[in-house]
Amino acid sequence: MRKILIVGAGQSGLQLALGLQAHGYDVTVMTNRTADEIRDGRVMSTQCMFDTALQHERDLGLNLWEDRAPRIEGLGVSVAGPDGARVVDWVGRLDGYAQSVDQRVKMAGWLEAFAARGGKVVVHGVTVSDLDYFSRTFDLVLVAAGKGELVSMFGRDASRSPYDAPQRALAVSYVHGLGPRPEHDFEAVRCNLVPGVGELFVMPCLTVSGRCDILFWEGVPGGPLDVFDGVKDPGEHLRLTLELMRAFTPWEYERAAGGVELTDAGATLAGRYAPVVRRPVAELPGGGLVLGVADVVVANDPITGQGSNNAAKCAAAYLDAIVGHGGKPFDRDFMQAAFDRYWDGAQHVTKWTNAMLAPPPEHVLNLIGAAGQLQPVADRFANGFDDPADFEHWFFEPEKASAYLASVAPQA
Amino acid sequence: MPGSDHSTGGVRRSGAGRASRVRPYAITGGRTRFGHVLLVETLVSALNRPAPAGGGLPEMDAICELCRGHMRSVAEIAALLRIPLGVVRVLLGDLADQGRIRVHGTPGEDGDGDGTPGSTANRELLERVLGGLRKL
Ligand SMILES: Cc1cc2nc3c(=O)[nH]c(=O)nc-3n(C[C@H](O)[C@H](O)[C@H](O)COP(=O)(O)OP(=O)(O)OC[C@H]3O[C@@H](n4cnc5c(N)ncnc54)[C@H](O)[C@@H]3O)c2cc1C
Repeated sequence: MRKILIVGAGQSGLQLALGLQAHGYDVTVMTNRTADEIRDGRVMSTQCMFDTALQHERDLGLNLWEDRAPRIEGLGVSVAGPDGARVVDWVGRLDGYAQSVDQRVKMAGWLEAFAARGGKVVVHGVTVSDLDYFSRTFDLVLVAAGKGELVSMFGRDASRSPYDAPQRALAVSYVHGLGPRPEHDFEAVRCNLVPGVGELFVMPCLTVSGRCDILFWEGVPGGPLDVFDGVKDPGEHLRLTLELMRAFTPWEYERAAGGVELTDAGATLAGRYAPVVRRPVAELPGGGLVLGVADVVVANDPITGQGSNNAAKCAAAYLDAIVGHGGKPFDRDFMQAAFDRYWDGAQHVTKWTNAMLAPPPEHVLNLIGAAGQLQPVADRFANGFDDPADFEHWFFEPEKASAYLASVAPQA
Repeated sequence: MPGSDHSTGGVRRSGAGRASRVRPYAITGGRTRFGHVLLVETLVSALNRPAPAGGGLPEMDAICELCRGHMRSVAEIAALLRIPLGVVRVLLGDLADQGRIRVHGTPGEDGDGDGTPGSTANRELLERVLGGLRKL
């Protein structure tokens, strides 16, 4: 039985661990937090996942909260104009629904399921010297430790990392009591763009205390939304969040008119990080090799809500690669090939996400505007969150954008 | 990464979230609902069970040797054998699965004690661990 070590109990690490376990591998998971600590801890993400990523979970029978989590059937975009009016406002329909299950619920549950099925869980904050030893005693060591300090083992790939500083300041609040958007009777992720200032994302989620909504500000650093650093009190964090909604997105603020409250003591999160793509294989001091997974190797800004989706896709790609490799040694070529298989799709996510961080060019503004008149454009935009490779065909280049618009515009 | 914290995916948490990291774990007979939770002060001792065929790494044998007739803390084992702490934790988990060691948990957590710092059992334990470390 091949012995595999996975460091990190997040979306990618646990999905892969449970997948390998189901295939009969001898899997050890090392995590710096117990299931209870994860469940009782702070929120980590907004973790909205679209159909393709959710299907990877279903394939492994890991969709344990699918019946209880709100079904997100649309994705809407509003653009703020002067005076708190909306110059763009539409919602696209998703072909398959999206869902957000609080990672505290999911990771705690998956970790317990993995252990209950006989998986070995070792609670330990892994260091490089630990890995040096493990790379000799395990057939394969995977580092799925998110953006933790272990990433420093993996070299930055400058050619794939256009930014070297954070592009947004992030501020998340999970709340109970938010009202629906009045324009539609189905659940949707609402993306509110405030030009030059940042973005507000609002989406339903299943958290520890049941259904909730997430308010997520992404602020241009140094701008008016970049006010959450150093805010220690969760109540103050929420007050600032609502205050900024009142000032910049009054239509979303109205949804809080009935009074909202934080879901729990760990319902807020603030911080920032630079988007980066790293080299997938790290060599340890003793010469052993380890393979990076998901955020360790590709960490995009959450502006497009793709990190968990990517993590699920990476775990699925690596699972296929490992199983397909049979009994052959997991050498450097294997590791590079497994990553290349993942990057084949992930490159589109990185390109699109990095584009969304920059001020939009004219033709993108036209597309976002046109989606308000042409439902197929809104729908295609929404479904691009499920399959970002599709943006290649109509989004990035002005010629392709106008050709696409011409093809869907009603014949005069 | 400014303002980053590995436990939250590179994002600093607001509010007081750190305390949970040092909370004692609930252990029943050395096993939690999800496997062995081995704190640095958790005590283990060797059982008279041979290594399974082909399943004995030299480090595992060394741990058993060290813990034969002695209760040792996880920290002591790492220090005495000069093996990284994470490695010791993984090897002890494997040894426990193979029935070659017994994990005693920590006094105060095994029975009806609640394991809170400051209880008599815990003070005894700490003294024991410190004593063990001083002998190194
Ligand atoms: C504010 C915010 C909003 C987001 N919103 C979305 C969204 O809507 N949709 C989406 O798809 N993505 C979103 N993301 C991104 C998404 O959360 C991440 O990309 C995803 O969780 C990455 O999964 P992972 O498995 O790579 O790492 P993680 O989920 O970060 O898991 C890493 C695990 O490793 C553990 N660990 C770290 N260091 C060590 C160590 N030394 N030893 C042992 N264990 C260790 C950590 O505790 C953690 O459990 C968002 C991120 C943020 C910050």
